[in-house]
Formats: sequence, structure tokens, C-alpha cells
Amino acid sequence: MDVKARDFIPVAQVALSDPALRAAVKRATDTAAQKRLATMFWAGRTHGEALRQQAAQARRRALRDLPALLEQAEAAMTANGIQVLWAADGDEVRRLVLDIAARHEVRRAVKSKSMISEEVALNHALQAHDIDVLETDLGEFIVQLSGETPSHIVTPVIHKSKETIRDLFVRELDMPPTDDAEAMTQFARGHLRRAFLEADMGISGGNFIIAETGALCLVTNEGNGRMVTSLPRVHVALVGIEKVIATVEDYATLTQILPRSSTGQTMTVYTQMIHGPRGADDDGPEHVYVILVDNGRSDIYPTDYAEALACIRCGACLNACPVYEATGGHAYGWVYSGPIGAVITPLLTGLENASPLPHASSLCGLCKEVCPVDIDLPRMLLDLRHDLDEAGHTPPVWKWGIRGWAMVARSPRLFGLAARAAGLGGRFLPPRPPLPPPLNGWTRTRDLPELAPKSFRQLWAERQKAGKRDD
Amino acid sequence: MTSRETILSKLHAARQPFAGLPPAGDMIPVVPADDTSPAALRVRFVAAAEALNCTVTACPDADAAIRHILGLVGTDSTILSWDLKHVPLPGLGAALAAAGIAIAAAGDAHVRAGLTGVDAALAATGSLLLASGPGKPRGASLLPEVHIAVVAAGQIVPDLETWLAAQRAAGLEHLRRLNSVVMISGPSRTADIAMETVMGVHGPGAVQIVLVGES
Amino acid sequence: MDPRPAPAGKCVSLFVTCMVDLLYPQTGMSVVNILEYLGLEVDFPMAQTCCGQPAFNGGYRRDARHVAYQFLKAFQDAEVIVAPSGSCAAMVRHEFPVLFAGDPWLAEAERLASITWEFTEFVVDGLGIDDLKLALPHPQTFAFHDSCHGLRMMGVGEQSRRLLGNVENATIVELVEHDECCGFGGLFAVKMADVSGAMLEKKIEHILACPADTIVLGDVSCMTHINGGLARRGTSKRARHIADVLAEALPEGVTYGR
Repeated sequence: MDVKARDFIPVAQVALSDPALRAAVKRATDTAAQKRLATMFWAGRTHGEALRQQAAQARRRALRDLPALLEQAEAAMTANGIQVLWAADGDEVRRLVLDIAARHEVRRAVKSKSMISEEVALNHALQAHDIDVLETDLGEFIVQLSGETPSHIVTPVIHKSKETIRDLFVRELDMPPTDDAEAMTQFARGHLRRAFLEADMGISGGNFIIAETGALCLVTNEGNGRMVTSLPRVHVALVGIEKVIATVEDYATLTQILPRSSTGQTMTVYTQMIHGPRGADDDGPEHVYVILVDNGRSDIYPTDYAEALACIRCGACLNACPVYEATGGHAYGWVYSGPIGAVITPLLTGLENASPLPHASSLCGLCKEVCPVDIDLPRMLLDLRHDLDEAGHTPPVWKWGIRGWAMVARSPRLFGLAARAAGLGGRFLPPRPPLPPPLNGWTRTRDLPELAPKSFRQLWAERQKAGKRDD
Repeated sequence: MTSRETILSKLHAARQPFAGLPPAGDMIPVVPADDTSPAALRVRFVAAAEALNCTVTACPDADAAIRHILGLVGTDSTILSWDLKHVPLPGLGAALAAAGIAIAAAGDAHVRAGLTGVDAALAATGSLLLASGPGKPRGASLLPEVHIAVVAAGQIVPDLETWLAAQRAAGLEHLRRLNSVVMISGPSRTADIAMETVMGVHGPGAVQIVLVGES
Repeated sequence: MDPRPAPAGKCVSLFVTCMVDLLYPQTGMSVVNILEYLGLEVDFPMAQTCCGQPAFNGGYRRDARHVAYQFLKAFQDAEVIVAPSGSCAAMVRHEFPVLFAGDPWLAEAERLASITWEFTEFVVDGLGIDDLKLALPHPQTFAFHDSCHGLRMMGVGEQSRRLLGNVENATIVELVEHDECCGFGGLFAVKMADVSGAMLEKKIEHILACPADTIVLGDVSCMTHINGGLARRGTSKRARHIADVLAEALPEGVTYGR
């Protein structure tokens, strides 16, 4: 997917002036956040926090041992009958999938959710080679039908109203008009069912790979994940290299904490461990491929940002973030939005392509509080801001403005003078003084405070003098 | 260098993150439970499954269970099914035959009901654990609108952690030979349309759990 | 967080913070008056200016360090540092070690970090006092807004509620979503002014719907932003700093200290 993160501010402005969109996003994120609280902490806050730490440790141990675990996972999967491939970047992912499709004479593919496939624009590449690709996750299906991009990593169309979806189905699929969500879902089900049964290839993502058993693990709710990985004769899974975990015990914690943090479910409806293709006497795909995808992750790994790779894509940070609630996901301009998007978009696609994102936060800290693997997102946003400045991405007005401020603020004498000047000047300023940009952003929605006639240090000095006189 | 070599060598060469982490140690279960007696497990399983919109019917014995299943199948002439040797109900085969109900081919997508046993049932989350294998087609619990799952009371275990611990004790090679293991927690669902929860998307819209044995 | 040395009996060096110094000097005086009422000796190192947080939060670490050096110099003789701000206290306590990593001044930065308190935290957790034995001149109703850095980085919020809860004539009601960010965020308020404004709008709606006349908080940065919005909205409701509210309950006409 093209990176449009540089347009954060204008795209956010569009979202901010759309009350229907904002109401939809707020309702979705508030609901998810409340459900998370209920299931994460049903046994008490201490237990829930202990689980978070347990999950955090499991992900960090996996990152610590990543290359060895990847090798172990590859060996285990291969022994189980899965074909393991490695892709350094988007080009290679597309090439590998096309090779597989050609090898197995694939004309039709069905897809369940895969964020990596969005990163590398896989659908587009397949369609360019005359391979039909149908998204089957209901939200992704709606995104595909509307030609848009997802706005939330778990629930991709929270920005769309029911009426909009109804109109879309009526227009594109000849659905008889209805406002009933169940009827609309049943209609989509009928439409997609044929595709499942007739597809040659199923493409999925992967939530975890368990290194010690070589299990490809998926968590889904609709049944399309099972369809895509069971019905077509070829199954291809795209999995980021950071998704490997060490043991089945780690898996038990992570596969249950993910849904609790994400949608407030204790387990998703279908929690799958896939070990291999069909055996001689059962059903399932004849061939299973797992493509381990790098696409920038190995560049993050050696840095202080390695912790960002612990993310299990639950979306809790999006649901908590007041900035995301105000702007929705599209403003973030890429596959991942919200706090995690603000961190990994610059890390995966380049600082210069995502320069507004680290600043798109008030650093309130709620994301870190809700993250099930305790990623210190605010710390990383601060570090990225520093990186942006070091790399020369600070606009001159800020660079020189801050420099000027620092000159005054580092000198008690200049600071004291500035305090006096402010106290005097305050008497002569109009109530709503025109400020130069970018400072005038303040007065768009807020009045300015009054300047005190005497600063604290002046009052203190006078008080000390008066005290000495009394002695 | 292949991509595999490039990626692995980059990762191996990197300064190891989180180098000082302690080893895993004992892990707490996600759903703590004090009472793991069969009676308590049963109560918890039923409550959790019903909270997920499963229908749980307790049948004291195989005959009662078979009668109930025939009632669920109703006037359908075919069902999808696991091989009945994997369904813990002696006499079920004969009863189906007597009712004129045939077992359809494994991939038949036009059959309304699918019948399976389970490999385990997880009390903590009301989940049914089904492994694929000869005579245990995935389609039976996936394609039809209604999934009828026969659970023997003794198959209920406390949680996923317990089941995995048992797999570890038996040697993980056995687990790895199960091509597909799925834990089913309720009917398929989505909330993608305006956050309204709808049951019955691509997987079954109804899960009928037939719980057989000691209450 | 490292446990801090018990502060009882030590002279308090007031870190008044640049915004209080320039815009709300009375809040600084309120802190001084309360601490002296409690029998403490308070000092104000004149060489202080700012902790450097605005520059640090913006990613401008070199500039932040220049300003923070001045802080280290100003407080070099301090035994206890108290600030009427969760975010400024957090800057010293949590970010100074980051800012001065690899710097010869790191040890001094860490020393100052280890003796810095937020004001309500100092009184309740440091001195063990949660009842100031005070009464407001007439009944008022208050609601708290929790400033993010104070709440999440310093763990403060409970302390100010206890202090005000023990003041006679103070009724406390709850502000809906009191722990949600007001949208200030430092330079964010200007860099992302529209998003900041939208977050502020939400906070203002809650304030208007709240029965309290006064919103109490611990950070004048949030206060400036919230009051700026309330004034623009045309309501008479305002946010006030906890120190000013408590100081209002101090006995009249008595001066403290030396």
C-alpha cells in the first residue's frame, strides 16, 4: 500500500469535520475498550496485569531468540509437510505468491485477513496477472468492494455507516435493499460461499508461529479463516518474521490475551493450529506454504525500537487513543494506524515518509497502559521525534523558534528579563492578540491566558526583601 | 545469498534485544479456577458455552443423546459427519440408518447439519477442540449451518493450558501430526457492519452441544 | 521507580516551573503558603528557569539539554525538590536520566531525579499528611481532571483527592472521563491544533455537563488549555490548580515562614 502518512494533518482535518465518521469511530472504539476491560480484568486487576506481564515476557523472549526460533520453526514446519519460503521485501512476496499460483494453475484465490498482504499490495499484483482475488473477511470484503483502504487493524470499516454499506451492496452486488445487519451479512455469506468452494488457492495471514511444534496459528471469528485454509487445494500464509513464539505455553497465553485485548472475547470463535496439509485420508489443502516476510522488520530488530516487533496486532492501542478517536485510521496513511501505526510506519517505510506521525500524539500514555505486551509506545514516539530532528526534518520555524526559546530559558538573567517584559507587555496586549503561524493554531479554539503583572520570582524576591526588613 | 540467508544473518548479527530476560518459569493460566472437579468443570463449561450462544443439551445416556440428535436433524435426509467411531454414542449408526439419514460425502456444501465428536472441551472458555484426521473431516464442523457436537462429560478439561500440558506430557510429536486443530467457541459471528453482532457468517450459525453422561 | 529518601525535616527547594513563574505566580505562592503552614522551610533557587520539557517532548534534545543543565546548576544544593506539576516533576524524575545518558552530568541528573516530587505526592506520600485540617470559607463543589503525565508517569491523582476530600466545605463530584487526555500535549496543542481542539471540545462538553463549578487539576499546562477553551466557549466554569484551592482554605491573615 502506498504510504500517505505525510498527509496526516489534512486528512485528519477532513475526518474532524465529519461528525458521522467521528461518532462511528467513537462508538466502535468505546465499545471495544469497555469489552476489553471486562474480559481482561474479570478476575481482578492484579490478575489482568499479571497476564499482561506474562504475555509481554513471552513476546520478548521470542524476540530475544528470534533467529534461532525462526530456524526451529522452519525445521518443524518442513518436517510437518509445510513448505517454508522467505521473502525479503514486497517484491519478493508478490513474486513468490505468483510462482506458487503459476505452479498450481491458480485462477481464483480467496483471502482471509492479512495485513502483510496490504503492506505489499498483493491483491493488485495477482489481479494484474489475471488471478481473481476475493477478500472474504466481511470488513475487508466491504473495503475491497468500495475500493478504499481499511481504517482499523481489527475492524476495518468502523468508519462506514450501515446505510453506506447497504448502498454499496445494493449497487455492486444487486442486494435487495435492507437495513438489517443480519440480512446484509447473510447476503454477503451467500455471495462469498461460492467463491470459497470454487477457489484454487486460499491466502491467509498468521497470528503466531509456534517454533517448537511448527504450528501456524490463526484467530478468526467469521469462519472465512477456516474456509480459506481448508477448502482450496493450495493454502498460502503470509507471516511476519516477528510473529514467531517459542512454546505452546506461550501460545496458550497469547492466543487468549489477544482476543481479550482486541474485542473483549475470551477466545475468538475459531482458534486454529495448522500443522500441515491434508493427510491421505482427511480433507484440507494438498499444499501449504508459509512465507516468512521481512519487509523492513530485520532493520528494526537491532535498534532500540525492537520492542515494537512484540506487537500482536490486537488494536487495543487504537481503541484507547484519543487522537485515533478524533481522526480515525485513514489519517495515518498506511496499513497500521493508531499509536502502533505512528511508530512502525516510519520504522518500516522511512522517517521521511511518515514525519507527522510521531507528533500525532499528546503522549497521554494510555496506549502503553492497555497494550497486552506492554510496548512502551510513548517512549518510542519521543525517540522518533528526536530521530526526526536529528535527521533534519524539523521545519525551520520550529528549529529556530525552539533555539530562541532555549537561549532565553537556559539563562536565569534572560529568563528574568523575559518575565519582566511579559509582565509589562501584558498590559498593552489586546485580549485576542494575533499570533504568527504556527502559534496561531492555539487561538483557533482557545483564548490566551492573561500575563501576570509580576512573575513568581519577582514576588519571591520582594517577599524575601520584606522578610529581611522585618528581621 | 538467498533471502533466507540475508534475513537470518542480519538477525544473528544484531545486538540481541532483551538479553537479560529470565527463563519462562511457571505460567499462570489465563482463566484461574480453584475447583477442577468434574462437576465444577461441567457447570463452568455449560455456562461458558451458553454465554457464547451455543445450545447445550445434557443427555443422561447415549439413547437420550441419539433421540435428541435425531430431533435436531429433523426431516433432513443427509448430514455431514465424522466417522461415527469418533463419536462416543454406541448405536448412533443404526439409529441414523433406521431414520433414513445418510452421511454425505465430506465436501458436500449443501447439507444443513454437520455432526462431530470432539477431541476435548475447554471449560474455561466453553470451547470445543476438534482435530482433523482420517474420518474427521473439517467440513463437518465448518460447512453446514448447524454444527452438532457430541461431548462426553469426561472430555471436559479445565482449559487450553491443561490440554496443551497433556500434549506435552504425551510428547509433542503426536500434536504435530494433527494437521488442523481448531478450538470452536460458539457460532461464527461478525460485528463489522456498524458494530452490530451478527451470528452465522461463513461458519455455522448454530452450535448444538450434546453433552452425554454423568451430571 | 526508585524509592525516594524520606523528605521529612529537609528544606524544600521549590521548582516552581516556568509556566507558573510567568503566568500563575499565585499558584507558586499557594504552594509556599501551604508548605510553610505545615512547618516546612521553603527555598526558591533563583537560578532556576525551566526543566526543558517543551523542547524534549518535541524531540529537540540538544536544546532541551542546554536548558536542563541550568536546572542541574540551580538545584545543586537541593535536598528535596517539589514542583506543582506532574509533567514537570515527571520530566526531571523520568526523562532527565534519558536526556543526560552518556553525559558527565548524568550522576547529578539522577540525584536530582531521585529527590523530585510532585506537590500533592510530596504532602501525602512524602510527609504522610492527607488531612490539612482546613476549611473553605464557603461551600464549593469540585471535580477532578487527571493530567496524563501526573497520572500515568507519577501515579498522582489519589493524593489530591484525599487532600481536598478532607477540606471542610468541599464537595467532590466525578467528571465523566476524568482521566482522558484534555488534548494539550505540549507543542502538540499547536502542531496538531485541530486534533488538540477536538480533544479539548470533548473535555469541555464533559465539564459543562458536570455539576461542579470548578475543575481541579495538578498541571497548569492542562489548565491553560482547558481554561482557554472554557473562556472561548463563554462559560464561567474554570479549572483551578489544587494548590490554589487548598490555599484558599488556609486561615486568613496569617503569614508563614521567616
